[in-house]
Amino acid sequence: MSENNVILSVKDIVVKFNVRDRVLTAIRKISLDLYEGETLAIVGESGCGKSVTTKTFTGMLESNGFIESGSIMFEGQDLTKIKTDAEWEKIRGVKIATVFQDPMTSLNSIRTIGSQITEVIIKHQKKSKEEAKKIAIDLMDRVGIPNAADRFDEYPFQYSGGMRQRIVIAIALACRPKILICDEPTTALDVTIQAQILKLIKDLQVEYGFTTIYITHDLGVVANVADRVAVMYAGQIVEYGTSADVFYDPRHPYTWALLSSLPQLGEKGEALFSITGTPPSLYNEIKGDAFAPRSQYAMKIDFEEEPPFFQISPTHYAKTWLLDPRAPKVELPKTIRNLHQKLQQMTGEGGAFHVE
Amino acid sequence: MLNNEREVICSLRNVEISFPKGRDKFVAVDHVSFDIYKGETFSLVGESGSGKTTIGRAIIRINNVSDGEIIFKGKKISGKLDPETDRWVVKNIQMIFQDPAASLNERANIDYIVTEGLHNFHLYKDDADRRAKAEKALKDVGLLPEHLSRYPHEFSGGQRQRIGIARAMIMEPDFIIADEPISALDVSIRAQVLNLMKKFQKERGLTYLFIAHDLSVVRFISDRIAVIHLGKIVELAETEELFRNCLHPYTKSLLSAIPMPDPEIEKNKQLITYDPSVHDYSVDKPEFVEIIPGHWVLANKAEQEKYLAQIH
Amino acid sequence: MEDNKFEFVTIDAEASEHISAPVYSYWKSVLRTFLKSKFAVFMLIVAIFITVFSLIQPMFSGYSAADAPYINDFSRRFIAPCAEHPFGTDHIGNSLFDAVWAACGTSLKLSTVVTAINMVIGIAVGAIWGYSKKVDIVMMEVYNIFANIPYTLFLIIMMYVLGQGTKQMIFAMTCTGWLGIAYFIRVQVMIIRDREYNLASKCLGTPTSRMVTKNILPYMVSVIMTLVSREIPAVIGNEITLSYLSIGLPATVASIGKMVYTYTPYMNGYPYLFWIPVTVLGLVSVSLYVVGQTLADASDPRTHR
Repeated sequence: MSENNVILSVKDIVVKFNVRDRVLTAIRKISLDLYEGETLAIVGESGCGKSVTTKTFTGMLESNGFIESGSIMFEGQDLTKIKTDAEWEKIRGVKIATVFQDPMTSLNSIRTIGSQITEVIIKHQKKSKEEAKKIAIDLMDRVGIPNAADRFDEYPFQYSGGMRQRIVIAIALACRPKILICDEPTTALDVTIQAQILKLIKDLQVEYGFTTIYITHDLGVVANVADRVAVMYAGQIVEYGTSADVFYDPRHPYTWALLSSLPQLGEKGEALFSITGTPPSLYNEIKGDAFAPRSQYAMKIDFEEEPPFFQISPTHYAKTWLLDPRAPKVELPKTIRNLHQKLQQMTGEGGAFHVE
Repeated sequence: MLNNEREVICSLRNVEISFPKGRDKFVAVDHVSFDIYKGETFSLVGESGSGKTTIGRAIIRINNVSDGEIIFKGKKISGKLDPETDRWVVKNIQMIFQDPAASLNERANIDYIVTEGLHNFHLYKDDADRRAKAEKALKDVGLLPEHLSRYPHEFSGGQRQRIGIARAMIMEPDFIIADEPISALDVSIRAQVLNLMKKFQKERGLTYLFIAHDLSVVRFISDRIAVIHLGKIVELAETEELFRNCLHPYTKSLLSAIPMPDPEIEKNKQLITYDPSVHDYSVDKPEFVEIIPGHWVLANKAEQEKYLAQIH
Repeated sequence: MEDNKFEFVTIDAEASEHISAPVYSYWKSVLRTFLKSKFAVFMLIVAIFITVFSLIQPMFSGYSAADAPYINDFSRRFIAPCAEHPFGTDHIGNSLFDAVWAACGTSLKLSTVVTAINMVIGIAVGAIWGYSKKVDIVMMEVYNIFANIPYTLFLIIMMYVLGQGTKQMIFAMTCTGWLGIAYFIRVQVMIIRDREYNLASKCLGTPTSRMVTKNILPYMVSVIMTLVSREIPAVIGNEITLSYLSIGLPATVASIGKMVYTYTPYMNGYPYLFWIPVTVLGLVSVSLYVVGQTLADASDPRTHR
């Protein structure tokens, strides 16, 4: 991982949606840098804006949404300034590709798998039909489709869910993108298939050298894939750092809550830690710390002023008043103290879940 | 079997469930038998296409059983039933659905959705009583009485799932089939729903059949776990026993696939992929045997010996 | 003072469950979405105006299709549209203005009655048809037989058998007119019948009748609107065809179809006699269609945002 090369830089973007005559603020001033070759995971609950954020990178916001302010710099170009679809065509799918949760949203159910891959290759790499077919079969091979040549002429319905997702990944990689956005690519899949797909994306990243943005609500998945993690809540990033920072030294109460509520950590006979309530309505203006109404560690100031980002280490930042020197000292919640030791005890050799 | 003295609430006897597929039939559940004890949480874990949901739906009579029978509280509830037994089954067995977005009637308000069952059996004195029951049902799941006049699309996924639970609980059933009740929810909301289910179980002595595709969730909530693969149960044991001494290679692959929230462990993880060809069932046919008391596994003679040696 | 701000506070867990949005009302949202379309609102005004006018104007005009009071007054024949006769007069001195509104009223009344009957039967039968697998087997046979007879041909045969007349025409049009609607409803019911929320209702022991009224029909408002907006112009069109063939409405009833038939010979010499009735009728059909289609869109909750 080369930390120095910023490939995509987001500065203070604000995204709003017009919904039923009202305005919803989905993203409230997000800034983040994406380093070349890394895997950045964006974690958060549904509705926190994690998908919306990455949709702005490819101009795929729904028609009622718009970027109000901020900039997204990619290869010297401000993506927020792009107006036409023709311009987006040069970036979307070519330089920045996306793999969605449901493979069928990306696949056409009445065309063969092969024709869908070759179409992209012919369009973007200007290859002949025969060449494209060769590349396509090679790609299918690489994403782990057995007997790729035989399955070239099959239709999506003849593929299982996991196989379809592999095809979507193959299509996404057909143009050799710089950035691959994986928007909950395994949420709809079985756990064993999920593990295989995660591994596949990691292997392909080594081979093709792209940068990955991973969107997920599952911290287990994050631990598996991420170099760096950004935790999002109510349209803002609340904590970011390296994977080790966030898992072994989390600082934001929301990150604590997310970790503590994992069923993997549940003790039999005891209630699981659960986050009460629901995220705030994004139609209203949010005052102070958005997570405060659900936080066990809410202070008066959390309802009055928005916390700034506090730096914990050169790589680790969190947006919570708890890090202010004036705040009372708090200990990490019991469930996630010594997380690594605890989980090591729970797993046997090879990292499989195992209870002695 | 272990716990012989315990009361069986629901029992599947050699159940086969098949669907017509062209001229052929597709066997979704292949002669499955198990007992569910009163007051326990019995989990059925398997991947898509394993037949786990089909079993749940057969118990609640959405799917027909093509062979074998299902017994609930000593009465046969599979096949054709007289209207009275049918109503008895509906009142006693309820279901919590997987997708909170799809399982609520979008055009009805919460008041109607929660009290739908009460309407059907006229389980209330007057309108005020019905409303009081609805309000209590919502409060029990942590929602507010003011939500009664709202519509499903105004709620978040977790709230919707709690509405689904309220709708089932208002019937005061003994047995609840929870069909992947948390897999469509955000991880942060899952704990809330699981705790709620635990709370109801404690308060009302409920029995759960918990259907899931993920063993990590199931460990926390269940007393016993059955692992199902392609319509056949491959392993069944008490939770602790299953995690300590898992025997069947398919169960092992499921366990290894659980993502752990720890970057170190994940980095060194070795995935175990299940390859059915490791079984040589050409001569030595497998059977579902109780290898040690309470721990059942699908294995042939040779495998049984191997498994027995593994147990510590 | 400053440091006080860093004291922990207890929070009310219930507060975050509160929904701040105003209470959602389905029909209000339908109305609001409909009103957003300026074109549809304009068409609605046109439709209302034409409807009201064609129901009221004939009451005062004294026009009757049965007699021709000016047939001997040659000076009243073929007067081009002017202040006194806004649409001009025809070959027997009748005011086309009066005649058009009377005929328009007939078309609207007829199409309303026929559409209402067809929709009621169609929805009722379609709902049961889509819901019950046994009924489906029988109804598919019935449908296959009747759907293969061209509808216009069927109407012509019926009218020949029954003879001219308003009641006869209503009967002919409603005899099988509901079948297509029922089939359409059946398909829609089948699509939503096995959705998960219906399984949930089944698990709660909800009887079929309530399933239809509470679970199925509310989802079909949009589809029903679409059907109505197609049915009304179709009925008007069929009336014209039959009356043009002189087997539709009796001579005593004003009808656009008959007007078109009567005035076709004058199309070259006095084109207004042909074009004015056709334009008015087109306006009726198009405005009702646009209003219906927009309402259909507006009644789909997915547009409520």
